[in-house]
Amino acid sequence: MKIGPLSIPLKEDFSLKSILGFEKTPVNMLLALSVIAMLVMLVVGIGNYLIHSHHAYNVTRQHPWGLLIAVYIFFVVSSTGFCIVGSLGDVFGFKDFTMISKRAIFGSIVTILAGFTVIAFEIGHPVTMMIYNVLTPGLTSAIWWMGTLYGLYLTFMIIEFYFLLNNDMKKAKIFGLTGLLVGLAAHSNLGSVFGFLNARTISQGVYYPTYFILTAFITGIFLSFIIMGFRYKLNFNEKTKKLLEGLAKIQGLLISILIFFMTWKLLTDMYGGVPTRSDVAHHIIHTAPFWAEVILVMIIPLLVILKDFGKSPVLMFWASLSGMVGIFFMRYNLVHDTQVKPLQMMKIREYQLSPEWIHYFPSASEIMISLGGLGLCILLYYVGTRAFNLDEEEGH
Amino acid sequence: MARYGMALDYKNCINCKACEVACKEENGVELGAEKHRIWVGANDVKGEWPLLDIASAAFLPSQCQHCEDAPCQEVCPTNATYYDENHVVRVDSDKCILCSYCMNACPYDARYVDDRTMTVDKCTFCSDTRLARGETTTACQATCPTKVRTFGDLDDPNSEISELLRTREHFSLKAHLGTNPKLFYLT
Repeated sequence: MKIGPLSIPLKEDFSLKSILGFEKTPVNMLLALSVIAMLVMLVVGIGNYLIHSHHAYNVTRQHPWGLLIAVYIFFVVSSTGFCIVGSLGDVFGFKDFTMISKRAIFGSIVTILAGFTVIAFEIGHPVTMMIYNVLTPGLTSAIWWMGTLYGLYLTFMIIEFYFLLNNDMKKAKIFGLTGLLVGLAAHSNLGSVFGFLNARTISQGVYYPTYFILTAFITGIFLSFIIMGFRYKLNFNEKTKKLLEGLAKIQGLLISILIFFMTWKLLTDMYGGVPTRSDVAHHIIHTAPFWAEVILVMIIPLLVILKDFGKSPVLMFWASLSGMVGIFFMRYNLVHDTQVKPLQMMKIREYQLSPEWIHYFPSASEIMISLGGLGLCILLYYVGTRAFNLDEEEGH
Repeated sequence: MARYGMALDYKNCINCKACEVACKEENGVELGAEKHRIWVGANDVKGEWPLLDIASAAFLPSQCQHCEDAPCQEVCPTNATYYDENHVVRVDSDKCILCSYCMNACPYDARYVDDRTMTVDKCTFCSDTRLARGETTTACQATCPTKVRTFGDLDDPNSEISELLRTREHFSLKAHLGTNPKLFYLT
């Protein structure tokens, strides 16, 4: 397809018919219906938000960030993770990983688009944001840097993907490297959004800006197993097995580092004696979502990898699904745990009980928009697989 | 141009909440328990009868601390939060995008969402109302029956607040965070 001077190589049979022409197996039908249901929920959730504004959400003065912030982080972490995995082959030249580059870079684009969709309905005035981000930029704000850098990152990813489609590997490498660096900067800035919170000692500090990069890489590898699993219907050829074995070994190392990081973070939080950090850390380890994160992201995938050092790609596919559910809890916990301790510990109303931990559970609208973001992400990815050849070209 | 601050003789507070009402009335703050620019904090009395710890029941009036190094201002992505010419921390509702970062960054829980504009609101030291009319007191100060609050220019050595801060010991809330509040609690 030609758009001006640009040549976008679409698949020859790409049409609405090819999009709807998937194999009508029970699994595929269930997946298709689920995506449709999620998109309907997206529309309903957005409609509810447009009518009731932030009253459609369960966010409060004490807990101003809710599920949508967590889901936005979930998607942009996924995008950065895809970008890192995609860069292994086409930027750093690891031949075994080249076959996933194009697919991963496309994944990075669709996940960040889903993230932007979700955050557009969390930010109260997204249009005002675009205007005043430029007119009166808050250069001391981590959110400004994060948002601006992610905008640039998306641009570079799209350009890289264009060159990958056209097999211009030299230019793809240049834009891939630039996009990767900008993406890492954006992502660590996202961590610093929490790291700069002087008032929230549980999150304040250098931990999150660095931990975000580590967990992005882990997320990218989980997602790689999932997309390759769907691509090959869990019937992997030798080349793919080699790729996935390599990724599984890296994943084993990354998860081990994550466990090490988290253990020391928790130990220093709990026993470091810092007021409002120690008590929050003790509170966190007694919550179910924390253990969901630990079991689903760390224990299950690590055990699967250690079983035969990553030689079971099918098992790793299932472990990666577990990992991604856990990654969701990881993001949710990050957002909620940051705000769980009230900043005002005195009673300010008659007959009020003394403030304790802040409770939050997402509203139906928040849940619907979040699931809608997931549906949108899956839909865009699926359309992409129909429109573009995301497999490695022969001879490259 | 002034550098406004407030001294609070908080031990005089009787928790009548007249300041909260006056603030809402003067500045047109929305009704509702969550929508408040100022508040009076109270603790449960500690100890058991007859050994009650009466000192633990002190009331602590509070509001935006108008910090010299305000975290809310630093984190604002569009500079909607700014220091005005009188060093009062203000919100430009035209620029506020309601990302709520400032609400998370403020160590004092001094910010809330105004549902009419869907932007963040907070204490302005009555800049748009009383000060704009040429008055020299805030609504909370003027209404307080026990004269807890003294509002004034910290740069004016002859102002009542400067005199108070020279002659009375005082502390700031969460001073360890380095925000340099301009609310001073007299001891």
